[in-house]
Amino acid sequence: MTKVFTDGLSFALPLLIMAIGAIYSEKSGVTNLAIEGFQGFGAFIGALAAILIMPRLSSSSQLPIYIAILFAAVGGGIYACLHALLSINFKANQVISGVVVNILAVALTTFFTSAANTAINGTASNKFILGVSSRYSIPFLSKIPWIGGLFQRMYPFEWIICVLAFIFWYLMYRTRYGMRLRACGENPQALDAAGGDVVKTRWIAVVISGALSGVGGICFAYSIMANFSPSIYMGYGYLAIAAMIFGNWDIPSTALVCLFFGLAKAGGQQLCLAMKLSGNYTDLFNMLPYVLTMLLLIFFSKRNHPPKACGQPWDQGRR
Amino acid sequence: MEEYIVEMRHITKRFPGIVANDDVSLGIRKGEVYALLGENGAGKSTLMSMLFGMYEPDAGEIYINGEKVSFRSSNDAAARNIGMVHQHFKLVDNYTIAENIVLGVEPMTRKFGILPAVNIKKANQDIARLSAEYGLEVNPTDLIENVPVSVRQRVEILKMLYRKAEIMIFDEPTAVLTPAEIDFLLKIIDGLRKSGKTIILITHKIEEIKQIADRCAILCRGRLVDVLDVKNASVREMANMMVGREVEMDLHKSPANFRETVLKVSHLTVENENHFPLVKDVSFEIRGGEIFAVAGVSGNGQTQIADAITGLAEAASGSIVLKGKDITRLSIRKRTQEGISYIPEDRQRTGVVMDFSLEDNLALRRYYREPYSGRGILNFGEFRKNAELLIDRYDIRSGQGPKTIVRSMSGGNQQKAIVGREIEEHADLIIFVQPTRGLDIGAIKNIHKQILKERDRGAAILLISLELSEVMELADTIGVIFSGEILKTAPAGSLTRNEVGSYMMGVREA
Repeated sequence: MTKVFTDGLSFALPLLIMAIGAIYSEKSGVTNLAIEGFQGFGAFIGALAAILIMPRLSSSSQLPIYIAILFAAVGGGIYACLHALLSINFKANQVISGVVVNILAVALTTFFTSAANTAINGTASNKFILGVSSRYSIPFLSKIPWIGGLFQRMYPFEWIICVLAFIFWYLMYRTRYGMRLRACGENPQALDAAGGDVVKTRWIAVVISGALSGVGGICFAYSIMANFSPSIYMGYGYLAIAAMIFGNWDIPSTALVCLFFGLAKAGGQQLCLAMKLSGNYTDLFNMLPYVLTMLLLIFFSKRNHPPKACGQPWDQGRR
Repeated sequence: MEEYIVEMRHITKRFPGIVANDDVSLGIRKGEVYALLGENGAGKSTLMSMLFGMYEPDAGEIYINGEKVSFRSSNDAAARNIGMVHQHFKLVDNYTIAENIVLGVEPMTRKFGILPAVNIKKANQDIARLSAEYGLEVNPTDLIENVPVSVRQRVEILKMLYRKAEIMIFDEPTAVLTPAEIDFLLKIIDGLRKSGKTIILITHKIEEIKQIADRCAILCRGRLVDVLDVKNASVREMANMMVGREVEMDLHKSPANFRETVLKVSHLTVENENHFPLVKDVSFEIRGGEIFAVAGVSGNGQTQIADAITGLAEAASGSIVLKGKDITRLSIRKRTQEGISYIPEDRQRTGVVMDFSLEDNLALRRYYREPYSGRGILNFGEFRKNAELLIDRYDIRSGQGPKTIVRSMSGGNQQKAIVGREIEEHADLIIFVQPTRGLDIGAIKNIHKQILKERDRGAAILLISLELSEVMELADTIGVIFSGEILKTAPAGSLTRNEVGSYMMGVREA
């Protein structure tokens, strides 16, 4: 049981930070299906930074992880500029832009991973071997019965994500920028008339979206994947979007949904083990979060209120 | 030379296919209420949009306090203490009133002494004070989506006051208000004038100008006709100048010639989604050649009666019989084919497809029939012919003729297009809901004439209007609705304006 909590949380938090990224973009009025591509591209840049720095450090050093997280955020943010440019400046259809950005990310990162591997060690592998981050338990809290698992064997990035989640919650709901951002996704005309800059607000939001997605991606690469490869495109970006929708574009509610997804996934795996089923069945149980997604969609989609102006390119002259 | 707070010299502005303003010059004095009068599409809003920095003039100069300015955005105008209440409010629905007002100029504080945060508490206090000072009566913590239109408008006024605007532009502020709300607004405007603000009022309602304005500039088709002192000008004089020709103030209504019954509504009840009855057991008949007008205060079930007859809403009980045929359960298209035309209340939502061209919109009622389509393929040549005919016959003005996107047309011309399209069906029953809402006097008279012409042709007309004067002028028979019930049905001649007014307030047999 404790393992369900431990694994559940380590899956839920990267998912949450990607979902917060998606919320930023959509709350500003830019539909974002590109989370999958952002997280993959961000993870690629982070992983590349890590394997370049690793030979210079001792093999037990944990420093590459932190460098990778930083670079993943930068890489994701830069890659997000493509979606921002297409959907804000060129007023492209935001759904199509998001899909294209995803497809392009898969192609680019696969190609460059092989190219980088060839240049560094002469093998055309499509993987960066990263290993798994160290894990730490919090004293006392981890001894609590039942939910103690939440505080056992934690990855350091989980704490980083918690801090980031709080910062970006605060930014959205308490600051001037957050207030303008939320107005921008509801009624950009109102923000424009009030002297705000719709284009700038949306650009910043989309770049934040890319940076946070990149962080989520590299955290998956350092935990359940243990390397960077095209299998990073597992669809977790889409799962983050689903979490955002069930969470009604609200950060605290989305956090609960992510935790629920994480526990469902970890629970499914433990169930599979407990029932002593062969490894062939793990894939079946891994579907659990997606099956739940479909079921929840039926119940939740009716009372959901997406940002009103989401998906509409901003055109100043429109009446 | 006189001191003006705002001076516009030789302003010209062109849009594709249209000259919106042609060499317009005017000067506005500090502390006056200056009205801009003109028909829909006369160029009033365009002119003020330039003063507010939303467009730049193609030629001409703008002076504020004697200083030449050139605004590139509304921010530049706001920096010169100019504010504007737009026709379509620019508010965020899920924000509170205070949040909407401070958006863009948020007061800041530091949480725990370090973290920057928007100071909503201070905003609430400031706005409560400002609201009390000018008698605006708004509660800063209400959500916009929960307050009526009149309050939203006052929020827009507060937005200007909060930004310390000295020059305030109101674009058709009364178009969305009820008579009581209009009185309240005019009082507010008077209060603003007394506190030294300069008010520019864009309108096509001459009565309001008479009530509140000091001076009035009249625009006609983009040109400045004259600037008048309101107290020395007559309503007729202003109306003639605005339209650019002699306006017939009186309608020539020929005696009614009733034929057989066209529409028979019996015991009609319409419910909302929570099964609350909005229309309760309503019965009436309309004969060919008769105008049956439903009078009442907004929101008493009028719209639902029209929706139930056209099929947009379902009748919970009762029957609707058209020319002897029960249509209560027919689909909308079947009903229109039985002979119903409909000019809906919300023309932009129900009447036209805003982003379609004029010619497509004019064919919406007939595109599926010969000769507009054959074997499932549309015949655009016929669309064009149909559009050219209607544009000519109903004087629909637009920038690029049949190809104009309807969104870019003025409200009055959108309405002319709908009226033309529906009348050309030569239906047996024509339903007009608020046909002249938001239109200027020339367009109103034009539509009234069309209604009378259809009546004389022998059509049954159901007219639903909130304008009592419109009902009194046109109706052959009046039904007064209150809270979903028709309290009184009588020939128009037998009721006085005051009697109808008291039935509208729910007074039963006087």
